[in-house]
Amino acid sequence: MAATDPVTTKLPDVGGVLEEVSAAETPAGTSPWRLATRRLRRNKVALAFGLLFVLLVLSALAAPIWANNVADTGPNKTHLTDTIKLDGKDVNVVEFDGVPIGPQGFKADGKYFLGADGSGRDVMVRLLYGARNSLFIGITASIITVLLAVTLGLLAGYYRKWVDAVISRGLDVLWAFPVLLLGIALGVSLSLGGLNLGFTTVQGNSLWIPTLIIGFVSIVYLARPIRGQVLSLREKEFIEAARAQGASDGRIMFRELLPNMMSTILVFVPILVANAILLEAALSFLGAGVRPPNPSWGTMIADGIKLLVTSPHLTIVPGGMLVLTVLSLNVFGDGVRDALDPRATIKLDQ
Amino acid sequence: MRSTLRTLLGLMAVLVLALGAAACGGDDDDEKGGDTGGTPAAQSSGGIAKVNLTSFPDYMDPALAYTLEGWNSLWTVYTPLVSYKHEEGAAGAELIPGLAEALPEISNGGKTYTLKLRDGLKYSDGKPVKASDFEHTIKRVLNLESGGSAFYLGIEGAEEYVKKGRAKGDISGIETDDATGEITINLKEPDGSFQYVLGMDFAGIVPSDTPFENMTKNPPPGVGPFMIENMKQNRSFQLRKNPNFPQIEGIPEAKLDGVDVTIVKNQQRQTQDVIQNKVDWILDPPPPDQLRTVKSQYADRFEEYVTNSTYYFFMNERVKPFDDENVRKAVNFAIDKRALARLFGGLLEPGCNFLPPGMQGYEKIEDCPYGDPNAAPNVEEARRLIKEAGVDGTKVSVYGNDEDPSKPVAEYLADALNDIGFKAEPKIVEASVYFTTIGNQKTKAQIGFANWFQDFPHPRNFMFLVDGDSIQNTNNQNFGNVDDPEVNKLLDEANANANLDEAAPQYAEADRLLVEKAHIAPYGHRKLANFVSENVDFENCTLTHPVYELDLTQLCLTSGAS
Amino acid sequence: MTAFIVRRLIAMVLVLFAVSVLVFLIFNVIPNGNPEDRMAGKQATPLVIEQIKKEWGFDKPLYTQYGKMMQKLFSGQLISQTNRVNVTEEIKRGLPRTLALAIGAALLWFATGVALGLFTAVRAGQWSDRLVTVLAIIGISMPVFWLGALARNYLGYEWGIFPNGGYTEIGEEGLWQWFYHLLLPWIVLATLFIGVYSRVVRSTVLDTINDDYVRTARAKGLAERRVLVRHVLRNSLIPVVTLWGLDFGLVLGGGAILTETVFDLQGVGQYFAESIGRLDVPPVLAVTMYGAFFVVVFNTLVDIVYAALDPRIRLS
Repeated sequence: MAATDPVTTKLPDVGGVLEEVSAAETPAGTSPWRLATRRLRRNKVALAFGLLFVLLVLSALAAPIWANNVADTGPNKTHLTDTIKLDGKDVNVVEFDGVPIGPQGFKADGKYFLGADGSGRDVMVRLLYGARNSLFIGITASIITVLLAVTLGLLAGYYRKWVDAVISRGLDVLWAFPVLLLGIALGVSLSLGGLNLGFTTVQGNSLWIPTLIIGFVSIVYLARPIRGQVLSLREKEFIEAARAQGASDGRIMFRELLPNMMSTILVFVPILVANAILLEAALSFLGAGVRPPNPSWGTMIADGIKLLVTSPHLTIVPGGMLVLTVLSLNVFGDGVRDALDPRATIKLDQ
Repeated sequence: MRSTLRTLLGLMAVLVLALGAAACGGDDDDEKGGDTGGTPAAQSSGGIAKVNLTSFPDYMDPALAYTLEGWNSLWTVYTPLVSYKHEEGAAGAELIPGLAEALPEISNGGKTYTLKLRDGLKYSDGKPVKASDFEHTIKRVLNLESGGSAFYLGIEGAEEYVKKGRAKGDISGIETDDATGEITINLKEPDGSFQYVLGMDFAGIVPSDTPFENMTKNPPPGVGPFMIENMKQNRSFQLRKNPNFPQIEGIPEAKLDGVDVTIVKNQQRQTQDVIQNKVDWILDPPPPDQLRTVKSQYADRFEEYVTNSTYYFFMNERVKPFDDENVRKAVNFAIDKRALARLFGGLLEPGCNFLPPGMQGYEKIEDCPYGDPNAAPNVEEARRLIKEAGVDGTKVSVYGNDEDPSKPVAEYLADALNDIGFKAEPKIVEASVYFTTIGNQKTKAQIGFANWFQDFPHPRNFMFLVDGDSIQNTNNQNFGNVDDPEVNKLLDEANANANLDEAAPQYAEADRLLVEKAHIAPYGHRKLANFVSENVDFENCTLTHPVYELDLTQLCLTSGAS
Repeated sequence: MTAFIVRRLIAMVLVLFAVSVLVFLIFNVIPNGNPEDRMAGKQATPLVIEQIKKEWGFDKPLYTQYGKMMQKLFSGQLISQTNRVNVTEEIKRGLPRTLALAIGAALLWFATGVALGLFTAVRAGQWSDRLVTVLAIIGISMPVFWLGALARNYLGYEWGIFPNGGYTEIGEEGLWQWFYHLLLPWIVLATLFIGVYSRVVRSTVLDTINDDYVRTARAKGLAERRVLVRHVLRNSLIPVVTLWGLDFGLVLGGGAILTETVFDLQGVGQYFAESIGRLDVPPVLAVTMYGAFFVVVFNTLVDIVYAALDPRIRLS
C-alpha cells in the first residue's frame, strides 16, 4: 500500500542485511540477549544510523534553543511584512506576490536558516518543532500499537476458542480495510467531532487524533505474529510447568509468555515507528492528519508542494528530514533484527 | 506454478524493453504537442476555443448549479426572463429584458411582477418556448431542493409547494398564459432584489418536459447563444453555437463556433498549457507559484481585475469577548491588510468597506477608521483597547477551513490576535462543512474567516450576511450574529425598495455603520485574472462580466495566430 | 478443498459486511453535523433542510439508512450527496485508470525486484550488493507522494522529460500517450515495492542456495545459471509471488490513492480522496467496499493457492 505499507510486505523479510555479521562463535552459557547486543555492537552501520536517529530526537528536543537564541521566533509566528538585512539591503521575507525567501544559512545570523514559508514563518524553527510532533506521533503511536497488539495477541493465543475467534475476526476486518482509506476516514471524521473517550474528550485538532488512529490501524501488523507465537509457546513444557504450579492466567501470560516474545516485539518497534511517521505524512498530505497550529513534517510537505516551483525548499527540506529519519530507523531496525535472529547470520556464513 | 512463473518472467522482459523504449523516445512529445496544440490559424471569426476548469461544475443543470464554474457556461446556454448586458463593469450589472419583452411591471405595493414572453422564441432543439415553462423551471428549483431554492420561497405558495413534496403540484403565486405569453408572479412580501432573483441562472428557462432530477448528464435545451454538447461528467463538455438562437437585444450571438471545456485539476498544467498556446483561457488565475513568471513574461495576455467579493473576519457578538465593541475594534486595528494580501499571492485589493467596489451602493469609506489599508496596522492601539476591555489572556479559537487561502489566513489571524494579548489558536475545519459548522449556533464560533462572492449585483445579496433578520440556528450566514437595530432599520427600508438608485445611499450608510461599529472586519476584495493564449484577441475579445467573469460568447480568436 | 473454498468465501462476505458497517458508523455516529445541513448549501432555510432530510431519509433510524444505502449500492442506484452523481458509474470510470496504474506498477516492481534480488544474492557481500541494498532501503524510506511530487515537478514540469501528470485515454490519444503518461506514476509507485521485493528475494534466494537439493544439483555438474534459475529461483519465488498477490490487492484497494492524487490520474483512489474532502458518505462507503473487496479477494486467492499446495492448511 504505497508509501505507508512497508510493514505488510516486510513480514517475511528476514534476510536482507546491510552489514553482515560474521558468525560469532557462540560461547556456551551466554544469554541470548547478551549475544544480540554483542552482534548489534559489531554492526557499525546499524549503530551509526541508530545514533543518527538519537541525534534527530535530540535536535527535536532542542527546538526551543534554536528558536529562542538563533532564529528569535516561534514555529507559528508569521512574518509576512517583515524585512531582513542581507548585504546591507532590506529584503522582504515574503514578496508582495507571496513568494517567500529561500534558505539563508547564516547570512542573517541564522534567521531563516532554511528560508521562510508562504506565511513568513521560519522553516528551520518549524522543522525542529515539526520533528517533535512527527516523532511524538511515530513513537507514541507505536507504543499504542505494541500495547494493544500484544494484549490482543496474548488473549487470542492463550485463551483460544471464542476469544480467539472474536479477536481474529476483528483483525480480519481490520486487515481487509485498506489502511489509508481507514486512516483518512477516521482522520476526517474525528477531526470534526473530536473523540469522546468517556473519561476525556480529545479535541479535533489535537495531535492525539492522528496518533491514536495510526496506533490503531497498525495493530494487525503485530497482533497476528504475536498470536501465532503464543499459540506455539503455550504448548511448551515451561508453560505446562507453570500451570501445574498453579500460576494464574495473568501470570502465565505476562511473566512467562511475554518475555519470550520480547525479541519479536523489539524487531518490530523500529519498523513500526518508521511506518507511523510515513503514515502521518500521508494522512497530512491528504488533509486527514495533523491540524494547525501544530507543524509536522507531513503538513509542511503538503503545504510546500503547492509552491514547489518558486520555493522548492519548502518541500525538499521537511521531506529530506523525514526520509533521513525513516531511513535511520529502517537501517537500525535491520541491525536489530539481524542481532536477534541468529538464523540470519548463519545463513550468510558460507 | 511453472507456467505462471514463465508468464511473469516474460512480462518482466516486455516491461524492461518497453521502459528502454520509453526512455529513448521521451522527448518527441514536444514536437507533437506543437502540432496538436494551438487552434487552427487564420480564422477571423468562429473557430473553437479551448478552455480549462480546475473542477467540474457542481451541476450542469441550471436549476441546481451554484458555482462560478457552472454559471460561467450556463448563462450562455439558459437565458432567464431578465438578464444582464454583455458588458464590463457597472454597465454589465444592469438588468435587461431576457426572454421577456420588457423588465417586469411591478404593482400591488411591490408584490406583483408582471412580464410577457417574447414572441416566437425557440429552444436550441427547435421547440417553442411557452410561458408555462417558467413555472416548471421554478418548480424544478424548489422540488430539487436546489441551493437556490431559498431565493424563490418568497413567491406566494412556494413554501406550500415544497412542503407537499410533490413535483406536479402548483405554485399559487405564479400564473402563466401560454396563449398570450403573460406571466404573473405574486410575492408574499415586497422584495427590492426580486428582479435580480429572476435574472439568476436558476431561473434560466427550460422546457416543461424537463424531468425533476439532476440533468447534468444530459442537459436540457435552453435559449442562449450556445448549447451544450458531448457532456462527459467530471471530464469535459462542449459549448456549440445555438442555431435557433433568436435576436435578443443586448444578448449578442456567440463570436466563436464553440468552446471546448476540459477539466484539468492541476492548475500548474493549465497555466503551462496557456503559455504554450495549447489552451486558450483558464477560469482560475495561475497559481501563486507561477504568477510571477506569468506577470513578468506574459504581461501582454494577462490582466487582473477586482471581483464583486469581500473577504472578512466575522466576530460572534453572542460570544465573549467579541460582544464588546471595543474588542472588535481592536481586531480591526490589529489586522495587517498588506500581510493578508500576500497570502492571496497579491490577488487581493485591500479595503475596509464591506460592500465591494463594483457594487451599486458602494461608497468608499475615506479614511478608514482603523487606518490606511495599505499601511502598517496600529497594533499599539489594539493592545490598549484589549487591556482596557480587560480581555487580555482570553482564549480564542480562530476558525478557518483547510483550503487556501482560508487556512493561512486563519493562522495569520491567530498570530495577530496573540500579538495583541489574546491566547489564540487556529481551528481548521474541513472546507465542505466549514460554513455549516460556523453557521451552527451550537458551535459558538468566536471569530474566523468568511468571504462572499455576489450571486447577483444587488447590495442586498451582501447585506443579508449582516442582517439581524437573517440569523438562524443552523445554516446561519450571519456568522457574527450581527443584530444592530440601526443597520436593521436601514436594511429593512432599502430591501423593500425595488428602485436600487433610491436604495443605494441607504446601503452605503449601512456599510459605513457596520465598519464604524466594528461589526465585522473586512480586509479586501478578491482579484481574479484573465490569462489567455496568444490565439485569443486579448484587446477586443476578453470581456469580464461583473457577474459571470469572462464572457465566453464574446471570446474570439485572432487571425494568423501561430 | 471445496469445503475450504466455501468457508473462505463465506468469511469474505462477512468481512465485507463488517467493513461496510464500520464505515457507515464512522460517518454517522461521530458527531460532525447533519448531512442535510451540508446539502442545503449557502442559502438554506429550515424548510428546505427539513425537506432534504425527509427526501433522503436522514430522519429514519440508522439501520434503515444503512439498509437503504446497501440496497442502492448493490442495485447500482447509489447517488452522491454533493453532486447527485451515480457512484457506481464514477467508480466504473475510475477503475480502468486505477487498474492501469496498479497492474503496470505491479509488473514493474515484481520484475525489477526479482532481478535486483537475484543479482544481489549472487553477489552477496560484494560492493554492488551493498550499493543496491542501500538504494533499496532508501526507496522504502521515501513517502510516495513526496517522491511523486518531486518527480513530477522536475522530470515533468521543469525539464519536460515526462508529461506533467494527467491521464489520457487510449481511445483518444493513442497507446503511446497513454503509456507515456503512466510511466512516471508506475516508476514512482513501484519504487517502494522494488526496495522491499529485492530484499525479500535476496534473502529467500540465499536461504535456498545452500539447501541440499541445490548442492546436489550443483554436484551433478549443472551449469551455475541453470541451477540458479531452475532450482533456486523457482523455489524461492513462491513466497514472493504470494506476497505479490497480497500487495497487488492492497494497491488496487486504495494503496494507489497518493500516487493517483499526485499525478492527477482521476482513478478510484483520487475519487475517494475528493469525496472524503466533501464528506460525501455514499462514494466513501462504496469505494471502501470496493477497496476491501480487492484486498479480501486477493487474500482469499492467496490462501486457496496455498491450501492447494499444502493440504495441512485446510485442516486448521
